[in-house]
Amino acid sequence: MDTCIEKIRAIGADLLAKGEVEIIIGFSDGSIPMAARPVAVSSRDDMEKLVFNSTCGLNLANYVSKNSLSGKGAKIAVVAKGCDARNLVTHMVENQISRDQIYIIGVPCTGMVDKRKIASMFEDEITKFAEEGDTLIIESALKKLTVKKTDVLRHNCQVCTHPNPPVFDVMAAEPVAEQTLDQPFADVDNIAAMDPEARWAYFQELTQNCIRCYACRNACPLCYCPTCFVDESSPQWVGKGQNQTDVTTFHFLRAFHCAGRCTDCGACVEACPMGINVREFTRKLNKDALELFGWEAGLDLEKRPPLDVYSPDDPNDFIK
Amino acid sequence: MNFITIDKNDWAAGIDQLKKTYLVFGPVQDENGCQIKPLAPDVQPEMGAPATVMSPKSVLFPQTEKILTATLDESSKDHHIMKPVDKNDTPRAVLGIRPYDAKAVQLVKLNFDNPDYKDPYWCDAYDITTFVGVGVNRPGPCDFSTSAGCGPFSEQGLDVLMADLDDRYLAKVLTPKGEAWAAACGFDTPADTAESQTLFDILQKEAEKQINTAISTDNLAQKTILDLYEAPFWDDVAFSCINCGTCTFVCPTCWCFDIQDETKHQTAVRFRNWDSCMSPLFTHHASGHNPRESKIHRVRQRFMHKLKYFLDKYDQGIMCVGCGRCVASCPVNIDIREVCNLMNDYQKDK
Amino acid sequence: MMGNLLEHMGVDRDRIHFSWISSAEATKFVDVVKEISDKVRALGPNKKFVKDYNK
Repeated sequence: MDTCIEKIRAIGADLLAKGEVEIIIGFSDGSIPMAARPVAVSSRDDMEKLVFNSTCGLNLANYVSKNSLSGKGAKIAVVAKGCDARNLVTHMVENQISRDQIYIIGVPCTGMVDKRKIASMFEDEITKFAEEGDTLIIESALKKLTVKKTDVLRHNCQVCTHPNPPVFDVMAAEPVAEQTLDQPFADVDNIAAMDPEARWAYFQELTQNCIRCYACRNACPLCYCPTCFVDESSPQWVGKGQNQTDVTTFHFLRAFHCAGRCTDCGACVEACPMGINVREFTRKLNKDALELFGWEAGLDLEKRPPLDVYSPDDPNDFIK
Repeated sequence: MNFITIDKNDWAAGIDQLKKTYLVFGPVQDENGCQIKPLAPDVQPEMGAPATVMSPKSVLFPQTEKILTATLDESSKDHHIMKPVDKNDTPRAVLGIRPYDAKAVQLVKLNFDNPDYKDPYWCDAYDITTFVGVGVNRPGPCDFSTSAGCGPFSEQGLDVLMADLDDRYLAKVLTPKGEAWAAACGFDTPADTAESQTLFDILQKEAEKQINTAISTDNLAQKTILDLYEAPFWDDVAFSCINCGTCTFVCPTCWCFDIQDETKHQTAVRFRNWDSCMSPLFTHHASGHNPRESKIHRVRQRFMHKLKYFLDKYDQGIMCVGCGRCVASCPVNIDIREVCNLMNDYQKDK
Repeated sequence: MMGNLLEHMGVDRDRIHFSWISSAEATKFVDVVKEISDKVRALGPNKKFVKDYNK
């Protein structure tokens, strides 16, 4: 997937040379295998730092609204996969940034790898990770594995139906084929099929090792509130300790605040140090948004999100 | 100091024996990786497990600890008076930790147990805890303990250091607590001291050879605090930071906490929770002012505390043991090794 | 969607209720509250989202 990086660098160098943008937000290589580090490039000399590969699983839209430059009206270029671009659109729809402030360098995405799945194939720590086309070559002190990238994709990438940015200023490569799924929410359906006690137990177990570092919240482009509800102290909405009730409350409300806004980019899961699949919460909301409102977030700059507008057609049989 | 040899076939029975008199903690693998946890009666520690995501600091310093309670029932004579909670004073043994984690406990001890202040909760837990470490035969790529005043076979802070020799453990008993632990397990087969020490030295050399990353800390002490504070690199270091608390929570030496009172019906409870300098709330004043308002301030604070303020205050090296947990877990790959070297190499332009 | 998520997480649907009641509809308000109380009483005490300090 590294093939388009030369194009990205050329576009970036050109934008800086013409003075069209002040910085380019992209990914650079990390200091350990399978790590990618978000980076802001502001000079042509640093353009070589930019990389793009299957480990760039965070969402760079997160660095636009929360960047001090954006408040000053500076123009920013962003290297955007399908989901990053959808979150940029969401930012624009929610008036966090203006369209003319952002230059979207679109990257057609063939999916990001599930780093935990790869790590679980090894008994010891991974020392080398390389990518050649659709093949991954991964090494540890004890063994070397060659795996097909499609076998170790993250779940959200396996079920992704929008790998190409819906809105962009320039594309770094030809769009990739987009899939349609017969059962886009099989994971949600599996949970829904359990009885209520089993579902409760499932979600309690899911979050039992949560350390409340809030990496899921902070990696999420949607979470830009100046003060999060868990950080409020008067009134204090939720306890700050490890009590399972407080942990559950945090996860439920964090997810609900993403209702009709989540693009299923997977940054929350990518960031979680404990490997908790917090998408289990938002997936249900995404399913409902699609089934009740025909809505997928971040596809259209002109349409208002379903929880933002009233329509006489809104489902209302829950009101009794 | 003496050596004992433990056949791995006898290990499980020894641990079961130990559980009769000790509360035993050890590495346990679950869906979220490997953690140091209290062992259920039917669970054995996974001694060969990879490095744990979280450090064992929680054995002495739980993420949430109930410290005081009171009743709000005004018909009770002592209503609204905070009382200590019943403590579990069963001796604790922590098995299978890596040597750097024991060294980390010694660094945390400087904060919780010093002439000015003795933290009753931490000190009481420390007094009853025995640390049984295993030398790291195959350090991972994030491990830089050798350049952080420690190493894969460091004995600092341990009561017993074991070496994994495939079919058996060779245990070096370092303290009276360690002796009591061995006796409680029934491990008593002596090993030749000189021979065992030679074996330890060989394993240590082999392990240290595999650690190929290092930090330089030699210049840190001479630097002026304000020069480092005002250094130009902090903007770049902090750019990718998302301000989560991962680095502080996985760190074996981060000791900051927050006190919270909660009430329900007629019960009031005072908790101590881990806090994180990465959170804006950490320094948020009641007035609304926040002296560390932006993430650059907070990122700088974390590294300055670990690598400069601590060093200056205690003169006991840096507040980092090189476990590499923050490097491995940081969602955006901020690497303390790079930051430390930046600080160590920094020259202020005259 | 909120009710759906709570239900998905295992909270009994009968404990969640949405109604439109105008400030002029006092009797409707009373009826709805009675109906919900009866339903919840039949379900028994809720053990979910309840803190236990003894744990």
